Amino acid sequence: MLHFYLAGINNQNFLMRDKETGTWWQQITGKAIYGPLQGAALELVPSDELTFGEWKAEVSGGKVLAPVAKYTKEYDSKWEPEVAKLPVVISFPGTALKSRDVVVGLTIDGAARAYPWGVAVKQSPIVDHLQGTPLLLAVGPDKKSFRVFVSRVDGQETEFFLKSETKDWVLLDTATASEWNFQGCATAGPSQGKCLDRIPALKDYWFDWRNYHHDTTIYKH
Amino acid sequence: MFALSGLVTIGLFFFPAIVIRPFAYQAPRALWWAMAIRQRAPMPALFAGLLCLGLGLVLWRTVDIWRRVALTIVMLLVTFSAVMARINYFEWMFHPVDDVRFQVEEQSKLDAGEMIMAVRFGNDARAYPISEMAYHHIVNDVVGGVPVTVTY
Repeated sequence: MLHFYLAGINNQNFLMRDKETGTWWQQITGKAIYGPLQGAALELVPSDELTFGEWKAEVSGGKVLAPVAKYTKEYDSKWEPEVAKLPVVISFPGTALKSRDVVVGLTIDGAARAYPWGVAVKQSPIVDHLQGTPLLLAVGPDKKSFRVFVSRVDGQETEFFLKSETKDWVLLDTATASEWNFQGCATAGPSQGKCLDRIPALKDYWFDWRNYHHDTTIYKH
Repeated sequence: MFALSGLVTIGLFFFPAIVIRPFAYQAPRALWWAMAIRQRAPMPALFAGLLCLGLGLVLWRTVDIWRRVALTIVMLLVTFSAVMARINYFEWMFHPVDDVRFQVEEQSKLDAGEMIMAVRFGNDARAYPISEMAYHHIVNDVVGGVPVTVTY
């Protein structure tokens, strides 16, 4: 088991080292870039970026990382607008997005695509295809949480729409007309009890996503 | 010899520190050298630094006041470099969580709208608030028996 610590920065994505071998790792890729373990890669763990409220509604008996008393004045829930003002050291003029535009980035079979966050919120649920895989990008009822799923039910491709006559956030699929929740599981209809497969996705700044995915495409509706 | 050992000590700290600095661009080759030097620097910087200080003390007797001022400045820089070559100053800027502790959901004072990163293995579901992770950057943890490193 490796234990990591903050060791530096590389074009505004941080570097970490492990205490056991001193190897240097790039945060965004989880790859060892220098040292005894160079070439190794950490396995990405399935995870979610969502609101505390959404998480509490889905999970019971969960544990929350406690604040560390002497550093709580450093924690800032409103850090995003502050960081958005900071300069970038790497940029890609001539691309359709600005450096600090926030995107949801994902890769399927080596192909990368970025979904601008504003577009994702406005057009959710988005059904798209990448490398032949149909995918569903859903922004949650809080307009902050997001998840990406494989848009297939029992092997059949399907589209999703928000059910409009209800105040609850419910998706309907066109293949089976079942109702689906934000966890990607069917709560009513022929598919009840089934859950969609998840696709790992990352919220990142455009400059960082593009720096590590040179051939990325940008979602356009 | 005094100058050489001084330059080596100072270089062993300052070259990586100047390359790997926030808000500067890191070219791949420069980064490689910075990591290579930083990795190996602590002991050589200590030896070169001690050698330089020793030589400096010997030279001290033989020079005039102005050269002594210069010697002092160099020896201070050398001491600073030899010490800093062994210190992870990034953790001064962003303190690590030395003792990772958790609260149950009901104890947490987070707002419902605050963003978290969530991980689950089996029945072990954990949330890492982004406002906290954006400061500490890294938390090493074990979730449902799986060792994970949470980063932001």
